[in-house]
Amino acid sequence: MSALVSVDWLVLAPALAPAAGVVLVLAGDALAGGRAGRWALPLAAVTLVVGAGLALRGTVAGADAPLRTLCLPAPDGACLWTAGPRTSTLQAAVLLAAAAGLALLHDGRPRPRDGAVTATLLLAATTGGVAVAAARDLGTWLVALELATVPAVALVALRGSRPAVHGALSLLVTSLASFALLVLGAALWLTATGDAAFSRPSAAAAWAVPEQRAVLLLAVTVLVAGLGFKLSLVPFHAWTPQAYATTDLGTALFLATASKLSAVAALLVVAGALVDLGGATTPVVLVLGLPAVASLLLGTVVALRQDDPVRLLAWSTIAQAGWVLVPLTALSDAGARAAAAYVLAYAAASAVAFAVLSRTGARTLEATRGLLRREPLAGGALLIALLVLAGLPPGVIGLVTKILALSAPVTAGVWPVALAGVLAVVLGIAVYLRWVAVLLGAGTTPTALEEPGTGRRRSSVVVLVLGGVVLVVTSALPHVLLASAS
Amino acid sequence: MTPWLVVGLPALAAVLGVAVRRDDRLAGAVAVGAAAVTLLLAGIAWGLAGRPTTVSPGPRLRAGELLVPLDLLSDPTRAALATVVVLVALAVQVYSTWYLATDDRYGQFAATVSLFTSAMLLVVHSGDLLLTVVGWEVMGWCSYLLVGHWSRRPSARRAALKAFLVTRVADIGFVLGVVGLAAGAGTTSLAAVLAAWDRPDACVDAALADGSTVGAALTACEAPDARVRALLLVLLVIGVLGKSAQVPFQDWLADAMEGPTPASALIHAATMVAAGTVVLASVYPVFADSPTARWFLGLAVSVTMLLGALLAFAQSDLKRMLAWSTVSQVAVMLAGVAAAPAEAGPDAGLFHLWAHALFKSLLFLAVGWAALAAGGTLAVALRGAAGAAPVLRVAFAAGFLSLAGVPLVVGGQSKEHVLATVWDGAVAVDGPGLLVLVALVLTSAVTAAYSTRGYLVLTVHTRQRPSAGRVPVAVTVVLWLLVGLSVLGGLVVVTGAFRLAPISLLWLLLTTLVVGVGVAVALRGGLDRDPADVLARRLVPVADRGLGADALYRRLVARPVLRLARVVAFVDTEVVDAYVRGSAVATRATGWAGERLHRGERPSAGVGLVLGAVVVLGGLGVVLWS
Repeated sequence: MSALVSVDWLVLAPALAPAAGVVLVLAGDALAGGRAGRWALPLAAVTLVVGAGLALRGTVAGADAPLRTLCLPAPDGACLWTAGPRTSTLQAAVLLAAAAGLALLHDGRPRPRDGAVTATLLLAATTGGVAVAAARDLGTWLVALELATVPAVALVALRGSRPAVHGALSLLVTSLASFALLVLGAALWLTATGDAAFSRPSAAAAWAVPEQRAVLLLAVTVLVAGLGFKLSLVPFHAWTPQAYATTDLGTALFLATASKLSAVAALLVVAGALVDLGGATTPVVLVLGLPAVASLLLGTVVALRQDDPVRLLAWSTIAQAGWVLVPLTALSDAGARAAAAYVLAYAAASAVAFAVLSRTGARTLEATRGLLRREPLAGGALLIALLVLAGLPPGVIGLVTKILALSAPVTAGVWPVALAGVLAVVLGIAVYLRWVAVLLGAGTTPTALEEPGTGRRRSSVVVLVLGGVVLVVTSALPHVLLASAS
Repeated sequence: MTPWLVVGLPALAAVLGVAVRRDDRLAGAVAVGAAAVTLLLAGIAWGLAGRPTTVSPGPRLRAGELLVPLDLLSDPTRAALATVVVLVALAVQVYSTWYLATDDRYGQFAATVSLFTSAMLLVVHSGDLLLTVVGWEVMGWCSYLLVGHWSRRPSARRAALKAFLVTRVADIGFVLGVVGLAAGAGTTSLAAVLAAWDRPDACVDAALADGSTVGAALTACEAPDARVRALLLVLLVIGVLGKSAQVPFQDWLADAMEGPTPASALIHAATMVAAGTVVLASVYPVFADSPTARWFLGLAVSVTMLLGALLAFAQSDLKRMLAWSTVSQVAVMLAGVAAAPAEAGPDAGLFHLWAHALFKSLLFLAVGWAALAAGGTLAVALRGAAGAAPVLRVAFAAGFLSLAGVPLVVGGQSKEHVLATVWDGAVAVDGPGLLVLVALVLTSAVTAAYSTRGYLVLTVHTRQRPSAGRVPVAVTVVLWLLVGLSVLGGLVVVTGAFRLAPISLLWLLLTTLVVGVGVAVALRGGLDRDPADVLARRLVPVADRGLGADALYRRLVARPVLRLARVVAFVDTEVVDAYVRGSAVATRATGWAGERLHRGERPSAGVGLVLGAVVVLGGLGVVLWS
């Protein structure tokens, strides 16, 4: 290794673990021939959980003394990898969400024949998602973000069915467009600031000069648009319901949680550089606020009319992406923390909801009628997940993160966004309570459960139990999550 | 001796009593035993009470900006009041073991009486407004339970609900007043509240002597805002008027006769209705500063005492007569607070509370016995019912003598003290003294008249010997004890528990004169006829309905409230809900439109369009902005 760059392997471990998993799975596949499908997914899941454990090491580090590596010696010792507590938590969440996706893929029927390929793609995408959270320079950020996206397209396409290919095609076009925008945005950022990293001083210096300010604003606009595709912000959201509905539940879970977590992590890197811009930040607030408000309202309103639970979750993802953007419009550190806390709570609740769908095999809301009485474990987990998404007690963590998300723009005086948020809370309660009412209703004949092979989906049960425990514990002790997001 | 023990023991007995309520013997033993031990403790506490002491339970609680010390106070006056409360409670508990022996819910009754006693003792000993409110509210709840004890009877349920609603409505004022007083002082401690709202007399006088104007002196001495103080005290007085069944809340007490007689004895004699006097006496230093509050209270009690006495005279039901007499007598106690000159203090009123507790409990317990023997509480049914037992004759004689205010017995003594105090207040011309004095003299005459009527009907009129079956010795002993105290209880003045000025012989003569007039008027029809029939035949049906206060409440309060509720409900369902329903429809329509827009299978073209639009609009916007 070159002496120019210092490397701390342990700090890099969260990203190296899935990468090592890729090597292990491919090597095993080459050695074992076609029988790799059985153990590839569990092996990949193990490497992901190990990676998550290693990532959690960073959450105990102080916020002022983050784990850093890949540091250049001179002149100012900039580091390409900086992982504070928040970054480490997001990394761990990405890894665990990917593991949950693997668990659902493992339960999928028919089980994926090419398990090694699926595992490889998922691990590669996870590697990118973990790396982007810690990236602080344009190059690493772009490459990691693309690494997080492209394998996901292949994952959707792997289903092989005709609608899945449509979904994958739509996703591929979207990804390409988004990559184009991101590269353009990065180039504009470099032009405006003259700095190849996302750093506060250089952004503030550029903002002070009117000519540079225009270019920087264009860079931010284009970057937000590019990330908007990945986050499924309105108007870059059209691929989301289609891709979720045509692919299998494991992949959908991965797209809804791990992908979103890495996209938010990438957005937080950009937003972190925009905190101390100085005066006249209205255009930046506008660039962040418009898609936020549009996503909140459109996502919630359309989710209200969905009868397919996967499509409902897809539209709810769009609305929740708007929620993540709401605190960022405050352009403050508190806002960044609120966004991270929000996306963590959302990812846990979303993972639980997908796991319950995988456990019960329900493809319509009606199929979950009376689930709470038929299957208290799955029904209870889904209930708490929906309440967290709606922000109603006893899903306290959903309520707390929503209040935090709203308090940031209120403090900053960005009232229109806060008002849209309040409206979305009311509409969102209608969206999720509609499903809750079905859950609590008197049970009908359990048609979904009588399908062959639905009785033994142990991996999904593990995901929904662990996810449910996370939601209950953080609802009882919200400061645990909030501290790790700070 | 800590007052917490005196307050806590009956509360503990209430909890225990609920636990053993299925077993009548055990429940009775717990209730009577606890009351007896509490009486012993209260007596010892009274004996030991010297200087006023404050007992804090521990570290002071801080609730927001309020300091809540939860102190209890102990001084001779409070100890004497606590003793008489426990004494009446013990008498009631002993009496109910016999009176409610066949009742299937005796256990609950005994436990409720214990809790009621505990709440009243808390109010008596309270050195903290928060504790006062707690005791006050617990009493309201207990009175609801006791009045509605025979809940299988619709009339009992109605009476309980009426008592609860009327006192609750008045309690709004009480709670607001307490909250305001506590907020102004920044603490709920009684002493601190008094200090904060009292007029800094010495400071003001010094400033006036130095030649500054009144306004400047008040400002310099940081005197509390007199208008705010008057408002808060009036609110407090409204609560007191409600609990004490004074005008305009007077009507619930007569209906509360639906409860068992021991419960009436407790509510009327020692707890609940008398609690208002205790509370006002405890805030007396501030109350005396506010002429507005004094006038408000004085006006209400003047009307009440005369009205109550007149209605008592004309009742066809003797138990209700006693109820109205309570209304009137509580007004007399409050008169001692409202019209007393500032330097005299409220002790005359408190002394009347002490006296009233003794003779009113005696009368109620005796009437309950007589009613059991005669089979009803109507005056017609009760004629000569005192013949059931020798103790009843003596009890009625002593009780009605005291009620009439004949000199030397306890009721007479206390009434003379109230009269003398009110006279001093009237002479001082600060406050409603004159008005109260006139009402008080008239009331004394009417009281003597209806006392004579009660005695005549119950004792002098004869009939065949009625019988209430076998009455336990304990009940007889309790009645004899109360008879003794009703006659000799006035000796309490020598203990110095109440700070009373000596009374001149003139008052003795005056009271005798007034009582004599009342008795003479009542005896106009001779000894054999009911004076109510002779003097107020036309008034009786009206008085039985409480002057139609029920209809008045309905017309003035219930109907407008219901009408307002109907309007609000209409606005809610037809106007407000229309917007809600409309927004729901609009939301669903938007959702439908959004769904339509996203029905296409291939958004690739759309992505291209959006992409181009972002770049063009973004570029355009930036160029125009910069």
